[in-house]
Amino acid sequence: MTVTASQWLDRIRALPLESHVKIMNVCGGHERSITMAGLRSALPGNIELIPGPGCPVCICPEEDVYEAIQLALNENIILVAFGDMLRVPVNVRKSDTRTLAEAKARGADIRPIASPVEAVKIAKEHPEIPVVFFAAGFETTTAPVAAMLVEGVPANLFLLLSGRLTWPAVAMLLESGEAGFNALIAPGHVATVMGPEEWQFVVDAHNMPAAVAGFEPESLLAAMYSVLRQLTDGRYFLDNCYPALVREGGNRSARRQLEEAFVVEDANWRGVGSIANSGYIIADKYKAHDARRKYPNYASEARKRAGEMPPGCDCAGVVLGKIYPNECRLYGKACVPRNPIGPCMVSDEGACRIWWANGLRETAKPKI
Amino acid sequence: MCLGIPMQICEINGFVASCEAKGVFRDVSLFMMQDENLKVDDFVVVHVGYAIQKITSQEAQTAWELYDQMIAAD
Repeated sequence: MTVTASQWLDRIRALPLESHVKIMNVCGGHERSITMAGLRSALPGNIELIPGPGCPVCICPEEDVYEAIQLALNENIILVAFGDMLRVPVNVRKSDTRTLAEAKARGADIRPIASPVEAVKIAKEHPEIPVVFFAAGFETTTAPVAAMLVEGVPANLFLLLSGRLTWPAVAMLLESGEAGFNALIAPGHVATVMGPEEWQFVVDAHNMPAAVAGFEPESLLAAMYSVLRQLTDGRYFLDNCYPALVREGGNRSARRQLEEAFVVEDANWRGVGSIANSGYIIADKYKAHDARRKYPNYASEARKRAGEMPPGCDCAGVVLGKIYPNECRLYGKACVPRNPIGPCMVSDEGACRIWWANGLRETAKPKI
Repeated sequence: MCLGIPMQICEINGFVASCEAKGVFRDVSLFMMQDENLKVDDFVVVHVGYAIQKITSQEAQTAWELYDQMIAAD
Protein backbone atom coordinates (compact mmCIF):
# COMPACT_ATOMS: atom_id res chain seq x y z
CA MET A 1 0.00 0.00 0.00
CA THR A 2 1.32 3.42 -0.92
CA VAL A 3 1.96 5.74 2.00
CA THR A 4 0.87 9.30 1.27
CA ALA A 5 2.85 12.43 2.11
CA SER A 6 0.34 13.26 4.81
CA GLN A 7 0.77 9.83 6.39
CA TRP A 8 4.56 10.16 6.31
CA LEU A 9 4.23 13.52 8.07
CA ASP A 10 2.03 11.93 10.75
CA ARG A 11 4.64 9.21 11.27
CA ILE A 12 7.41 11.81 11.54
CA ARG A 13 5.39 13.85 14.07
CA ALA A 14 4.84 10.73 16.15
CA LEU A 15 8.56 10.02 16.52
CA PRO A 16 9.95 10.70 20.01
CA LEU A 17 12.61 13.12 18.81
CA GLU A 18 14.32 14.60 21.83
CA SER A 19 16.71 17.01 20.20
CA HIS A 20 17.05 19.37 17.27
CA VAL A 21 17.92 17.46 14.07
CA LYS A 22 19.49 18.84 10.93
CA ILE A 23 19.06 16.83 7.74
CA MET A 24 21.20 17.77 4.76
CA ASN A 25 20.31 17.13 1.14
CA VAL A 26 22.93 17.35 -1.61
CA CYS A 27 20.79 17.57 -4.72
CA GLY A 28 19.21 20.60 -6.35
CA GLY A 29 16.29 18.42 -7.44
CA HIS A 30 15.65 17.45 -3.83
CA GLU A 31 15.83 21.05 -2.68
CA ARG A 32 13.42 22.04 -5.42
CA SER A 33 10.86 19.40 -4.40
CA ILE A 34 11.26 20.20 -0.68
CA THR A 35 10.77 23.92 -1.25
CA MET A 36 7.99 23.56 -3.79
CA ALA A 37 6.02 21.18 -1.57
CA GLY A 38 6.57 23.41 1.47
CA LEU A 39 8.00 20.52 3.48
CA ARG A 40 10.00 22.79 5.81
CA SER A 41 6.90 24.41 7.25
CA ALA A 42 5.06 21.08 7.40
CA LEU A 43 7.69 19.40 9.57
CA PRO A 44 7.97 19.80 13.35
CA GLY A 45 10.02 22.84 14.38
CA ASN A 46 12.91 20.77 15.70
CA ILE A 47 13.67 19.33 12.26
CA GLU A 48 15.75 21.45 9.90
CA LEU A 49 16.30 20.70 6.23
CA ILE A 50 19.60 22.05 4.99
CA PRO A 51 20.44 22.41 1.29
CA GLY A 52 24.07 21.34 0.80
CA PRO A 53 26.45 21.00 -2.15
CA GLY A 54 23.86 19.90 -4.70
CA CYS A 55 24.32 22.31 -7.57
CA PRO A 56 27.07 21.54 -10.10
CA VAL A 57 26.70 24.92 -11.79
CA CYS A 58 27.26 26.67 -8.45
CA ILE A 59 30.53 24.90 -7.67
CA CYS A 60 31.97 24.89 -11.20
CA PRO A 61 35.35 26.60 -10.74
CA GLU A 62 35.44 30.24 -11.67
CA GLU A 63 38.65 29.63 -13.66
CA ASP A 64 36.83 27.04 -15.81
CA VAL A 65 34.02 29.46 -16.68
CA TYR A 66 36.65 32.14 -17.39
CA GLU A 67 38.55 29.70 -19.62
CA ALA A 68 35.38 28.90 -21.56
CA ILE A 69 34.61 32.60 -22.04
CA GLN A 70 38.14 33.37 -23.25
CA LEU A 71 38.19 30.38 -25.59
CA ALA A 72 34.89 31.43 -27.12
CA LEU A 73 36.02 35.04 -27.53
CA ASN A 74 39.50 34.41 -28.91
CA GLU A 75 39.42 31.20 -30.93
CA ASN A 76 37.54 30.45 -34.10
CA ILE A 77 35.37 27.82 -32.45
CA ILE A 78 31.80 26.98 -31.59
CA LEU A 79 31.37 26.63 -27.84
CA VAL A 80 28.44 24.57 -26.58
CA ALA A 81 27.35 24.26 -22.95
CA PHE A 82 24.32 23.27 -20.90
CA GLY A 83 22.08 26.34 -20.79
CA ASP A 84 22.57 27.06 -17.07
CA MET A 85 26.26 27.73 -17.59
CA LEU A 86 25.69 30.69 -19.91
CA ARG A 87 24.67 33.07 -17.12
CA VAL A 88 27.28 32.16 -14.48
CA PRO A 89 29.36 35.27 -13.77
CA VAL A 90 33.13 35.34 -13.33
CA ASN A 91 35.01 37.82 -11.18
CA VAL A 92 36.06 40.51 -13.63
CA ARG A 93 35.27 44.19 -13.95
CA LYS A 94 31.76 45.00 -15.14
CA SER A 95 33.20 46.38 -18.37
CA ASP A 96 34.80 43.00 -19.14
CA THR A 97 32.96 39.93 -20.35
CA ARG A 98 31.45 38.34 -17.23
CA THR A 99 29.39 35.49 -18.64
CA LEU A 100 29.19 33.23 -21.66
CA ALA A 101 25.91 34.97 -22.50
CA GLU A 102 27.77 38.31 -22.66
CA ALA A 103 30.48 36.69 -24.81
CA LYS A 104 27.73 35.47 -27.14
CA ALA A 105 26.29 38.99 -27.32
CA ARG A 106 29.78 40.20 -28.24
CA GLY A 107 29.90 37.89 -31.23
CA ALA A 108 31.28 34.61 -29.92
CA ASP A 109 29.58 31.53 -31.36
CA ILE A 110 28.13 30.03 -28.18
CA ARG A 111 25.20 27.63 -28.29
CA PRO A 112 23.20 26.28 -25.37
CA ILE A 113 22.52 22.56 -25.59
CA ALA A 114 20.33 20.18 -23.63
CA SER A 115 22.17 16.96 -24.45
CA PRO A 116 25.66 15.71 -25.37
CA VAL A 117 23.98 14.30 -28.50
CA GLU A 118 23.46 17.90 -29.67
CA ALA A 119 27.19 18.61 -29.28
CA VAL A 120 27.97 15.67 -31.58
CA LYS A 121 25.35 16.85 -34.08
CA ILE A 122 26.76 20.40 -34.19
CA ALA A 123 30.32 19.05 -34.62
CA LYS A 124 29.16 16.86 -37.54
CA GLU A 125 27.38 19.80 -39.17
CA HIS A 126 30.55 21.95 -38.97
CA PRO A 127 33.48 19.59 -39.62
CA GLU A 128 35.79 22.51 -40.46
CA ILE A 129 35.26 24.28 -37.09
CA PRO A 130 36.46 23.03 -33.72
CA VAL A 131 33.49 22.55 -31.36
CA VAL A 132 34.29 22.85 -27.65
CA PHE A 133 31.77 21.27 -25.27
CA PHE A 134 32.04 22.94 -21.85
CA ALA A 135 30.60 20.16 -19.68
CA ALA A 136 29.94 20.86 -16.01
CA GLY A 137 27.91 18.46 -13.93
CA PHE A 138 27.75 15.83 -11.24
CA GLU A 139 27.85 12.09 -11.94
CA THR A 140 24.34 11.93 -13.45
CA THR A 141 25.31 14.43 -16.14
CA THR A 142 28.96 13.46 -16.51
CA ALA A 143 28.04 9.83 -17.24
CA PRO A 144 26.20 10.74 -20.47
CA VAL A 145 29.23 12.85 -21.46
CA ALA A 146 31.39 9.76 -20.95
CA ALA A 147 28.92 7.70 -22.98
CA MET A 148 29.16 10.26 -25.77
CA LEU A 149 32.97 9.92 -25.89
CA VAL A 150 32.97 6.13 -25.68
CA GLU A 151 30.36 5.83 -28.44
CA GLY A 152 32.58 7.94 -30.67
CA VAL A 153 32.69 11.64 -31.53
CA PRO A 154 33.86 13.60 -34.59
CA ALA A 155 37.54 14.65 -34.67
CA ASN A 156 36.57 18.32 -34.29
CA LEU A 157 34.75 17.84 -30.95
CA PHE A 158 36.70 18.77 -27.82
CA LEU A 159 35.65 18.55 -24.21
CA LEU A 160 36.27 21.23 -21.58
CA LEU A 161 35.33 19.01 -18.67
CA SER A 162 34.27 20.23 -15.23
CA GLY A 163 32.65 17.03 -14.00
CA ARG A 164 32.47 16.47 -10.25
CA LEU A 165 31.61 13.65 -7.87
CA THR A 166 29.10 14.42 -5.13
CA TRP A 167 30.11 12.14 -2.28
CA PRO A 168 33.64 13.56 -1.77
CA ALA A 169 32.11 16.95 -0.88
CA VAL A 170 29.99 15.30 1.81
CA ALA A 171 33.04 13.35 3.00
CA MET A 172 34.99 16.61 3.20
CA LEU A 173 32.22 18.24 5.26
CA LEU A 174 32.00 15.26 7.62
CA GLU A 175 35.76 15.04 8.02
CA SER A 176 35.99 18.76 8.77
CA GLY A 177 34.44 18.17 12.17
CA GLU A 178 32.01 21.01 11.49
CA ALA A 179 29.51 19.21 9.30
CA GLY A 180 26.52 20.97 10.85
CA PHE A 181 24.05 18.15 10.17
CA ASN A 182 22.95 14.92 11.87
CA ALA A 183 21.61 12.94 8.94
CA LEU A 184 21.94 12.81 5.16
CA ILE A 185 19.46 12.49 2.31
CA ALA A 186 21.53 11.08 -0.57
CA PRO A 187 20.84 12.10 -4.18
CA GLY A 188 18.51 9.78 -6.07
CA HIS A 189 19.76 10.11 -9.61
CA VAL A 190 23.44 10.11 -8.65
CA ALA A 191 22.73 6.83 -6.83
CA THR A 192 20.79 5.56 -9.86
CA VAL A 193 23.94 5.84 -11.95
CA MET A 194 26.67 5.17 -9.38
CA GLY A 195 24.84 2.82 -7.00
CA PRO A 196 23.71 3.54 -3.44
CA GLU A 197 26.85 1.91 -2.00
CA GLU A 198 28.80 5.14 -2.56
CA TRP A 199 26.97 6.58 0.47
CA GLN A 200 27.65 3.72 2.86
CA PHE A 201 30.65 5.65 4.23
CA VAL A 202 28.30 8.13 5.89
CA VAL A 203 27.07 5.33 8.15
CA ASP A 204 30.28 3.32 8.47
CA ALA A 205 32.87 6.08 8.84
CA HIS A 206 30.78 8.79 10.46
CA ASN A 207 28.10 6.90 12.37
CA MET A 208 25.33 8.94 10.77
CA PRO A 209 22.00 7.82 9.31
CA ALA A 210 21.56 8.14 5.56
CA ALA A 211 18.80 7.44 3.06
CA VAL A 212 18.64 7.72 -0.72
CA ALA A 213 15.54 9.61 -1.83
CA GLY A 214 13.66 10.20 -5.04
CA PHE A 215 12.02 13.44 -6.00
CA GLU A 216 8.38 13.02 -5.08
CA PRO A 217 7.48 14.44 -1.65
CA GLU A 218 6.49 10.91 -0.58
CA SER A 219 9.97 9.58 -1.33
CA LEU A 220 11.68 12.52 0.36
CA LEU A 221 9.45 12.20 3.43
CA ALA A 222 10.07 8.45 3.53
CA ALA A 223 13.81 9.15 3.56
CA MET A 224 13.38 11.81 6.28
CA TYR A 225 11.30 9.40 8.35
CA SER A 226 13.96 6.73 7.85
CA VAL A 227 16.86 8.85 9.09
CA LEU A 228 14.81 10.28 11.98
CA ARG A 229 13.66 6.79 13.00
CA GLN A 230 17.27 5.63 12.81
CA LEU A 231 18.23 8.46 15.17
CA THR A 232 15.49 7.64 17.67
CA ASP A 233 16.25 3.91 17.50
CA GLY A 234 20.01 4.44 17.68
CA ARG A 235 20.57 1.99 14.80
CA TYR A 236 22.05 3.54 11.70
CA PHE A 237 22.07 2.15 8.17
CA LEU A 238 21.88 3.28 4.56
CA ASP A 239 18.24 3.10 3.47
CA ASN A 240 17.10 3.08 -0.15
CA CYS A 241 13.86 5.06 -0.36
CA TYR A 242 14.01 5.28 -4.17
CA PRO A 243 13.97 1.60 -5.17
CA ALA A 244 12.13 2.42 -8.42
CA LEU A 245 15.43 3.62 -9.89
CA VAL A 246 18.21 2.97 -7.40
CA ARG A 247 19.53 -0.57 -7.63
CA GLU A 248 22.55 -2.33 -6.20
CA GLY A 249 25.63 -1.40 -8.20
CA GLY A 250 23.83 1.40 -10.04
CA ASN A 251 23.88 1.53 -13.82
CA ARG A 252 26.82 -0.73 -14.63
CA SER A 253 27.09 0.31 -18.30
CA ALA A 254 27.28 3.94 -17.28
CA ARG A 255 29.91 3.25 -14.63
CA ARG A 256 32.06 1.27 -17.10
CA GLN A 257 31.86 4.15 -19.58
CA LEU A 258 32.80 6.69 -16.90
CA GLU A 259 35.81 4.57 -15.95
CA GLU A 260 36.90 4.21 -19.55
CA ALA A 261 36.58 7.87 -20.52
CA PHE A 262 37.65 9.70 -17.38
CA VAL A 263 40.06 9.55 -14.45
CA VAL A 264 39.19 10.77 -10.95
CA GLU A 265 41.51 13.36 -9.40
CA ASP A 266 41.52 16.06 -6.74
CA ALA A 267 39.55 19.03 -8.03
CA ASN A 268 38.67 22.60 -7.22
CA TRP A 269 35.12 23.57 -6.21
CA ARG A 270 34.09 27.21 -6.43
CA GLY A 271 33.63 28.63 -2.97
CA VAL A 272 35.00 25.51 -1.37
CA GLY A 273 38.54 24.84 -2.60
CA SER A 274 40.17 21.57 -3.55
CA ILE A 275 38.40 18.35 -2.60
CA ALA A 276 40.22 15.03 -2.77
CA ASN A 277 39.15 12.63 -5.54
CA SER A 278 36.21 14.80 -6.54
CA GLY A 279 36.80 15.66 -10.19
CA TYR A 280 36.80 13.91 -13.54
CA ILE A 281 39.56 14.51 -16.08
CA ILE A 282 39.78 13.01 -19.56
CA ALA A 283 41.66 9.69 -19.78
CA ASP A 284 44.70 9.45 -22.06
CA LYS A 285 42.75 7.24 -24.44
CA TYR A 286 40.56 10.22 -25.32
CA LYS A 287 43.20 12.96 -25.02
CA ALA A 288 42.70 13.93 -28.68
CA HIS A 289 39.31 15.32 -27.57
CA ASP A 290 40.59 17.23 -24.54
CA ALA A 291 40.09 20.97 -25.06
CA ARG A 292 42.66 21.67 -22.34
CA ARG A 293 45.33 19.87 -24.35
CA LYS A 294 44.30 21.48 -27.64
CA TYR A 295 44.18 24.98 -26.15
CA PRO A 296 46.70 24.85 -23.28
CA ASN A 297 47.28 28.61 -23.15
CA TYR A 298 43.87 29.36 -21.67
CA ALA A 299 44.36 27.56 -18.37
CA SER A 300 45.66 30.16 -15.97
CA GLU A 301 47.22 29.04 -12.71
CA ALA A 302 46.87 32.62 -11.50
CA ARG A 303 43.09 32.36 -11.70
CA LYS A 304 42.90 29.32 -9.45
CA ARG A 305 41.94 31.33 -6.40
CA ALA A 306 40.35 28.59 -4.41
CA GLY A 307 37.20 29.68 -2.66
CA GLU A 308 36.51 32.60 -4.91
CA MET A 309 32.93 33.81 -5.19
CA PRO A 310 31.94 37.31 -6.33
CA PRO A 311 32.59 40.06 -3.75
CA GLY A 312 29.86 40.23 -1.11
CA CYS A 313 28.33 36.95 -2.24
CA ASP A 314 27.74 34.21 0.33
CA CYS A 315 27.23 31.39 -2.18
CA ALA A 316 30.15 29.56 -0.54
CA GLY A 317 28.24 29.43 2.74
CA VAL A 318 25.05 28.38 0.95
CA VAL A 319 26.80 25.61 -0.99
CA LEU A 320 28.31 24.17 2.18
CA GLY A 321 25.04 24.38 4.09
CA LYS A 322 26.50 26.87 6.54
CA ILE A 323 23.80 29.47 5.90
CA TYR A 324 20.37 29.49 4.30
CA PRO A 325 20.02 31.40 1.01
CA ASN A 326 18.06 34.25 2.56
CA GLU A 327 20.78 34.84 5.15
CA CYS A 328 23.05 36.18 2.37
CA ARG A 329 23.10 39.97 2.46
CA LEU A 330 22.66 40.13 -1.33
CA TYR A 331 19.69 37.72 -1.52
CA GLY A 332 16.73 39.41 -3.14
CA LYS A 333 18.46 42.79 -3.05
CA ALA A 334 21.40 43.05 -5.44
CA CYS A 335 21.09 39.36 -6.36
CA VAL A 336 17.90 38.12 -8.06
CA PRO A 337 17.39 35.60 -10.89
CA ARG A 338 17.13 38.36 -13.47
CA ASN A 339 20.45 39.85 -12.34
CA PRO A 340 22.34 37.14 -10.45
CA ILE A 341 25.54 37.98 -8.60
CA GLY A 342 26.39 34.50 -7.39
CA PRO A 343 25.99 31.18 -9.18
CA CYS A 344 23.43 29.88 -6.63
CA MET A 345 20.96 32.44 -8.04
CA VAL A 346 21.67 31.36 -11.63
CA SER A 347 20.97 27.67 -11.83
CA ASP A 348 17.61 25.96 -11.44
CA GLU A 349 19.45 23.74 -8.99
CA GLY A 350 20.95 26.59 -7.00
CA ALA A 351 19.37 26.91 -3.55
CA CYS A 352 19.03 30.72 -3.84
CA ARG A 353 17.25 30.48 -7.19
CA ILE A 354 14.96 27.72 -5.90
CA TRP A 355 14.00 29.67 -2.78
CA TRP A 356 13.39 32.87 -4.72
CA ALA A 357 11.39 31.11 -7.44
CA ASN A 358 9.17 29.60 -4.76
CA GLY A 359 8.34 32.94 -3.22
CA LEU A 360 10.73 32.99 -0.26
CA ARG A 361 11.42 36.70 -0.26
CA GLU A 362 12.08 37.55 3.38
CA THR A 363 15.53 37.66 4.86
CA ALA A 364 15.49 35.12 7.67
CA LYS A 365 17.02 34.98 11.06
CA PRO A 366 20.13 32.79 11.01
CA LYS A 367 19.24 29.24 12.01
CA ILE A 368 21.93 26.94 10.72
CA MET B 1 20.48 19.36 -14.37
CA CYS B 2 19.92 16.06 -12.56
CA LEU B 3 16.25 15.91 -13.44
CA GLY B 4 15.14 12.67 -15.07
CA ILE B 5 12.06 12.52 -17.27
CA PRO B 6 10.13 9.24 -17.67
CA MET B 7 9.46 8.39 -21.32
CA GLN B 8 8.01 5.42 -23.18
CA ILE B 9 9.97 3.72 -25.95
CA CYS B 10 8.13 3.75 -29.30
CA GLU B 11 10.85 2.49 -31.62
CA ILE B 12 14.44 1.25 -31.28
CA ASN B 13 17.19 1.64 -33.87
CA GLY B 14 20.52 0.47 -32.50
CA PHE B 15 21.39 2.70 -29.56
CA VAL B 16 18.75 5.30 -30.45
CA ALA B 17 15.14 5.05 -29.36
CA SER B 18 12.25 7.24 -30.32
CA CYS B 19 10.54 7.95 -27.00
CA GLU B 20 7.30 9.68 -26.08
CA ALA B 21 6.06 11.58 -23.06
CA LYS B 22 2.89 13.67 -22.97
CA GLY B 23 2.63 13.56 -26.75
CA VAL B 24 6.18 14.87 -27.23
CA PHE B 25 8.61 12.63 -29.14
CA ARG B 26 12.38 12.68 -28.68
CA ASP B 27 15.31 10.62 -29.84
CA VAL B 28 16.93 9.13 -26.75
CA SER B 29 20.32 7.41 -26.54
CA LEU B 30 20.27 3.91 -25.08
CA PHE B 31 24.08 3.77 -24.99
CA MET B 32 24.12 3.77 -21.18
CA MET B 33 21.55 0.95 -21.05
CA GLN B 34 23.59 -1.85 -22.57
CA ASP B 35 23.08 -4.12 -19.56
CA GLU B 36 19.28 -3.88 -19.89
CA ASN B 37 17.10 -5.75 -22.33
CA LEU B 38 14.88 -2.91 -23.52
CA LYS B 39 11.98 -3.27 -25.90
CA VAL B 40 9.23 -1.14 -27.43
CA ASP B 41 6.63 0.04 -24.84
CA ASP B 42 9.13 -0.09 -21.96
CA PHE B 43 9.56 3.04 -19.82
CA VAL B 44 12.93 4.67 -19.16
CA VAL B 45 14.08 7.71 -17.18
CA VAL B 46 15.82 10.14 -19.51
CA HIS B 47 18.48 12.62 -18.42
CA VAL B 48 20.15 15.03 -20.90
CA GLY B 49 19.02 12.86 -23.80
CA TYR B 50 20.26 9.54 -22.38
CA ALA B 51 18.19 6.80 -20.75
CA ILE B 52 19.71 6.19 -17.32
CA GLN B 53 17.37 3.51 -15.92
CA LYS B 54 14.37 1.35 -16.79
CA ILE B 55 11.19 1.84 -14.73
CA THR B 56 7.68 0.41 -14.60
CA SER B 57 4.68 2.20 -16.11
CA GLN B 58 3.36 2.79 -12.58
CA GLU B 59 6.62 4.49 -11.54
CA ALA B 60 6.57 6.60 -14.69
CA GLN B 61 3.03 7.74 -13.88
CA THR B 62 3.99 8.69 -10.30
CA ALA B 63 6.98 10.70 -11.51
CA TRP B 64 4.90 12.52 -14.09
CA GLU B 65 2.44 13.63 -11.44
CA LEU B 66 5.33 15.49 -9.77
CA TYR B 67 6.55 17.02 -13.01
CA ASP B 68 3.06 18.19 -13.86
CA GLN B 69 3.05 20.11 -10.59
CA MET B 70 6.51 21.56 -11.34
CA ILE B 71 5.42 22.67 -14.80
CA ALA B 72 2.27 24.24 -13.35
CA ALA B 73 4.39 26.03 -10.72
CA ASP B 74 6.71 27.48 -13.37
